[in-house]
Amino acid sequence: MPKSDSPASGSERKYGAKYKLIGKDYQTADLYAKVTGQAKYAEDFRADGMLFCKLLLSPVPHGRVKHLDTRAALAMPGVKAILTADDLPAPADSLSDLGAVIKANPRGERALTNEPLYQGEPVLAVAAVDEFTAAEAIEKIDIEFEPLPFVLDPLDSLRPEGPNPRVEGNIWVQQPPPPRKPGEPPAGPPPPDVGNLKWTSEDFKDVDSGKLPMGKTPDEWTVGDIQQGFKNAVLVLDESFVTPDTSHQTLETRSALAYWQNGKVYIHTGTQSTVQTVPALARWLHMDASDVVLISEYTGGGFGSKVTAAITAIIPALLAKKTNSPVMMRISREEETFIGRGRPSLLGRYKVGFAKDGRITAVDMFVICNTGPYDAVGDAPTSGRIVSLLYQPPAMRWRGVTVMTNTPPRGAQSSPGGMQGIVMMETVMQKAGRKLAMDQVAIRRINCPEGKADFGPEMHGKRTHSTSCFIKDALDRGAEQFRWNERLANKPKQVGSKVHGVGVSLSCFYGGSTGYDGLFVIKPNGRVAIQSGIGNLGTESVIDCHRVVAEVLGVPWEKCDLTWGNTAQNLPWTCISGGSQTTHAMTRAAYAAALDAKQKLQEIAAKTYGGKPEHYQVANERVFRKGGGAGMTLAQAAQHAIKLGGKYDGHEPPDDVNKYTKASVAALAGQGLVGVGKDKFAHDGSSMSFVATFAEVEVDRETGKYNIVDFLAYADVGTVIHPRALGGQVLGRSTLGIGHAIGQKWVFDPHYGEMVSRRFYQSKPPTILDLPVDMQWAALDIPDPETPVGARGIGEPPVGGGCASILNALADAIGDDVFQRAPVNADTILTSLEAGRPMQQPFTAHI
Amino acid sequence: MGFLEWATSPWGERVPIHIAWFLIWVSLIAGLLFLVVHAIYVRFFAGEKQFAGAISPELAARLPEKIARHSLAARFFHWIMAAAMFTLLFTAFLPKVGVQFNWVTYHWIAGIVLTASILFHIVHASFYLDFWSIWPDKTDLQDSVKRMKRFFGRSGELPRRAGKYPLDNKLYHGVIVLCGLAVMITGIFMMFRVRTGILPRNPYLFGDMTWGLMYVLHGLAGVGLIGLVIVHVYFAIRPEKLPITYSMIFGTMKRDFYLEEHDPERWVVASSGPENRGSANAD
Amino acid sequence: MAVIRDVMPAFQLLQPTTVADAQSLLQQHADDVWVLAGGLDSFDWLKDRIRKPGTVVDLSGVDELKGIRETSDGLEIGAMTTLTEIAQHPVVKQKYGVLSQAAELVASPQIRNQGTIGGNLSQDTRCWYYRAGWPCYRAGGNICYADTPVGRNREHAILHAERCVAVNVSDTAPALIALDAKFVIRSTNGERVVDAEDYFIGPDIDITRLHILQPGDLLTAIRVPSTWAGAEFYFEKVRDRNVWDFPLMNVASALKLSGNNIQQIRIAVNGAAARPLRLRASEDVARGKERTVSTGETAGNLAVQGAVPLQFNAYKVPLMRNLVKRSITGVQQEATWAS
Repeated sequence: MPKSDSPASGSERKYGAKYKLIGKDYQTADLYAKVTGQAKYAEDFRADGMLFCKLLLSPVPHGRVKHLDTRAALAMPGVKAILTADDLPAPADSLSDLGAVIKANPRGERALTNEPLYQGEPVLAVAAVDEFTAAEAIEKIDIEFEPLPFVLDPLDSLRPEGPNPRVEGNIWVQQPPPPRKPGEPPAGPPPPDVGNLKWTSEDFKDVDSGKLPMGKTPDEWTVGDIQQGFKNAVLVLDESFVTPDTSHQTLETRSALAYWQNGKVYIHTGTQSTVQTVPALARWLHMDASDVVLISEYTGGGFGSKVTAAITAIIPALLAKKTNSPVMMRISREEETFIGRGRPSLLGRYKVGFAKDGRITAVDMFVICNTGPYDAVGDAPTSGRIVSLLYQPPAMRWRGVTVMTNTPPRGAQSSPGGMQGIVMMETVMQKAGRKLAMDQVAIRRINCPEGKADFGPEMHGKRTHSTSCFIKDALDRGAEQFRWNERLANKPKQVGSKVHGVGVSLSCFYGGSTGYDGLFVIKPNGRVAIQSGIGNLGTESVIDCHRVVAEVLGVPWEKCDLTWGNTAQNLPWTCISGGSQTTHAMTRAAYAAALDAKQKLQEIAAKTYGGKPEHYQVANERVFRKGGGAGMTLAQAAQHAIKLGGKYDGHEPPDDVNKYTKASVAALAGQGLVGVGKDKFAHDGSSMSFVATFAEVEVDRETGKYNIVDFLAYADVGTVIHPRALGGQVLGRSTLGIGHAIGQKWVFDPHYGEMVSRRFYQSKPPTILDLPVDMQWAALDIPDPETPVGARGIGEPPVGGGCASILNALADAIGDDVFQRAPVNADTILTSLEAGRPMQQPFTAHI
Repeated sequence: MGFLEWATSPWGERVPIHIAWFLIWVSLIAGLLFLVVHAIYVRFFAGEKQFAGAISPELAARLPEKIARHSLAARFFHWIMAAAMFTLLFTAFLPKVGVQFNWVTYHWIAGIVLTASILFHIVHASFYLDFWSIWPDKTDLQDSVKRMKRFFGRSGELPRRAGKYPLDNKLYHGVIVLCGLAVMITGIFMMFRVRTGILPRNPYLFGDMTWGLMYVLHGLAGVGLIGLVIVHVYFAIRPEKLPITYSMIFGTMKRDFYLEEHDPERWVVASSGPENRGSANAD
Repeated sequence: MAVIRDVMPAFQLLQPTTVADAQSLLQQHADDVWVLAGGLDSFDWLKDRIRKPGTVVDLSGVDELKGIRETSDGLEIGAMTTLTEIAQHPVVKQKYGVLSQAAELVASPQIRNQGTIGGNLSQDTRCWYYRAGWPCYRAGGNICYADTPVGRNREHAILHAERCVAVNVSDTAPALIALDAKFVIRSTNGERVVDAEDYFIGPDIDITRLHILQPGDLLTAIRVPSTWAGAEFYFEKVRDRNVWDFPLMNVASALKLSGNNIQQIRIAVNGAAARPLRLRASEDVARGKERTVSTGETAGNLAVQGAVPLQFNAYKVPLMRNLVKRSITGVQQEATWAS
């Protein structure tokens, strides 16, 4: 393979030219504990008198408990209590930020159930002195289920006489909220109803020929004139494709420890979002949020499955209350497979028109999403918006339906919907490039967005747009670094049974939100105590975002102390760490708090030395008169702040911050100069991040086995905050996407409705040896104009590119008619090559 | 020790999967025990057979020397069935007691042979033979009461001679019919579970519980047949029954045996006319 | 009663230090005993509470079962020798390369450090229905869940299926068959030695076991004769992932050539049936022939005669055909860039 000697690959490049800290590598405060094993994850904690609990899982994909006798189990020595669905608090309503009441969905997921809707759903929990006893007790429980009809495959449920996953039907129907009454907060939407959607036999007539049926859908939108678009096309492709269901497979399962002290519940569990997990736990427990404390210093991965921890975390909390002892619930790998969420499979059919120059003239996109038995995930609608942004069709129709099935509940998984939408669109682009005899980079370049690019449906007569987009540059620089043209020109001929293929893919996803709070205290000793409400989910954003504070105040990073991972320790209101919003949202919040502190420092200096605040500047741990002269250290300023009191030391928090932040500020008041601020910076558009991905594969046509030879992801994520962490995200999430291409999946037995791929070795997440030795990444480092620090999130976008670039490289090597679904393995490749035509059963779920 | 083996179905239900294999030994021992008890009984306790009524010499004279008993077709059926039955029993149970070999194919092929021969037999016996000759009739019942009374030392009428088949033979046939039909019908369904190339494979034709009960029934009838076959073979080689065994091989029995054991009124044999002489005029 | 997985039940753990002790313990607890080698197969069964032996006899302390010894006629490998040791042993690498290659491709480095050759050869099948604790034929029941009209059987058998369609997934078994190894089995009646290929049995013979060990028997050693030392070997394992994966199929061959003429040959394949298959017909057709693509193809075609694919594993037929071909012809160098 050609060696890349220029330009410098991502890990070697220098970022953050105009900053001291931003764009520089450094050792994060949690690193030592993580690599030495000192880091304590939820299940590493022990408490005096701690009990353990184990779960009884449903053996049926849908049924009702018709007989339950726990006497023999309870009679066992060491068994302390049993918790069933009947012991759970009623689902609680919640409040939106605007004060609207969001009614609880009475049919929503609960921690335990008497009517399991998927095999593996927790039915009851036993607390005992140890896990061994709890397990023995579960085996002594006499329980019988009345099996009810079930369905695994959304297409089966949509057939005219198809089975329903719930007694009432197969889709959610959401009524709009009632009109707002004057003078009252807006009314929240009512809980969704379950509807029953069936298509006609006519809709299904082409299913066996590999065409996805397209019946009536509850949701659709159109922009532009697609009929005209197709008329203007020289090439119209109509392709169907299926993406896999995949577990999040976090290495830390959703174990939880809980205990009660003075009416407050303390829960240790892994979560992506420290602060925002509290209201979720409070809602599930039907308690006041101020009585819930979450401890989560380290989280062993989330990928969207632990945005606000897991509802099962309330099981040990309720058992702890019942037994008056701390209760630990360790979740096994098999249990995690059932309750640990998964990415929904999308079945898609894309009709795409292309002009002679490769420009897309129209997209007619149709998707079916398998959401599992509970709340509808947003993957289907998101897939349409992302495709409309990434390929900029002048006319587009999107139609979609999200269908319930009796398979484990889905959740957002890195680039939810975006990944699936892009992967399916990319296979169409690959085909179009070949049919139009265009270079694959060129056909993407001519269609990709630029700058403030419109996308999605019209809302109130307007479409939203990206805050900025430089993916063309990423494509160009990536192609150069990957030596795309050279590879095409020198692609080796087939040697023996081995063939090579190269692939490129565009990808993007949402990369940021706004409106959260930053909080820190400059202590009288001159150190800066930064409060981080971000979850430590492995991305390092929990720490990275706060580099902004040190950068703005001119404080060496070594003088910053970070508090994170415990909601009893006065944290600011923080975004959820989901949808890659953290870096964007929390660098803004940190910037707001830093500006607040700067302003206070200047005011204190002005008060002390005279003049106006703007006459003073903050740098090198000092505030001093511009151009030299009077000034004081930050330590001195902190002492002044305490003397001054009021807003300076936190006794008067700003009005605009969240009430949660206000409570934290009140608790910290008097300790020093409090920097606190809400992100109110201007922001025009949706913050979107982009990646151009390149891959080369080598396929053995005799065995169907293929290897990824080379890989490059080139990111457009705004300002680079922490290169090493960014590289970890770009390549790590690319790997998540690669897993979808090369083998990760769920497999069910359709007769019993049970998952048979329950363990790692059966569901096959990718391993390190499936990746090329020298995976490459790079970032443009062009600041986003719509955010003060210029940084956006990166967690999601690489996933679609990781999957699609591999599939495209495969198609380049063995033909784009070999597969109609992912993952693609030896079985698909060999049978299709053997038969000389696609041999995958296109819409059979879960093989 | 339970008589059935249970398992937990994929849906967590307790379902029977087959009989406990120790029942093989139970049936085997029961069969052998019967054999020993019967042999002792015959040797030491049984009285001489006595029957009511005498055969008129005139009738006797009209009979051929060899009484045709089993047609060629009937014998053919019997021995094919016997071969199939032995194959089935050995292929079924030897592996269960530790003699391991590839038994399934032989077993279902023998099962098909048995099924075909039973179907042939049903048709043949219904339309070409005296169907009712094998089923107990009123006289059998009356005679069995008489025998019972005499066995317990009470005097009474002598029983009549048997028809074509003595009562014990008829009863045995009845039990065999029950067991045979049970294994046959369950066996046919069980062929849906394995690859035979004959029936479309569909292991999910029935629910777990139905299948479980089917395997149990097949097993129970199957082990029952072990005992029944032992008893059958035993009688076939008992000296006083040898003429009957002979007739199952050669088709005929001697006139003397016929006259001694059977009632010509109940088992009417055609007289030996010129047109019949020497031929086995089976019914 | 309810089912729970992933919590190991209690058992009595016995840790003998000699084979004799191990055997007497096996005898003492004959009704309810489990033999533990490296534990990589056993712990799955135990943790899932599908097998609940009262007593586990752990062989890890039996030193006489460990190690590789050179003998007058080749090698003797103790059954408790780790796969890592075999993969790295200089004599194995130098003279019996097919075995070191096979051992090196088992699972992952951690598993090879812990897993033993005896365990790898005697491991149970990985059929996911059977492993989930479903009461299939192999578990003593009366159905094969994988071989139903809707069964998920991508990784199952194409040959010699008899009710059960599970496959043997040992990587070292075909290598040892190719090397004509002998397995030493010790039982209460003494020691017997069987050919590698005779150690394994299919469901036609015993549907509940993959090997011939009877209760109380111990596989104590593998003898690799010097017959094939330094021969030409081929080993290939095809799996979904490049590490920590069972084979979809593997092939091992040993050839002795005179010029390009195949003088002697042994080929074995695993992952196609419930036992590793020695491919005698393919060997016979190749013996005495030139080592050409055509010879390889003929042998490959013979190897898959009688194959009956299931709904989702038809790929295994061309896979086996091609692997057998390659086991004779070898595989060409990887493609390289022009410059």
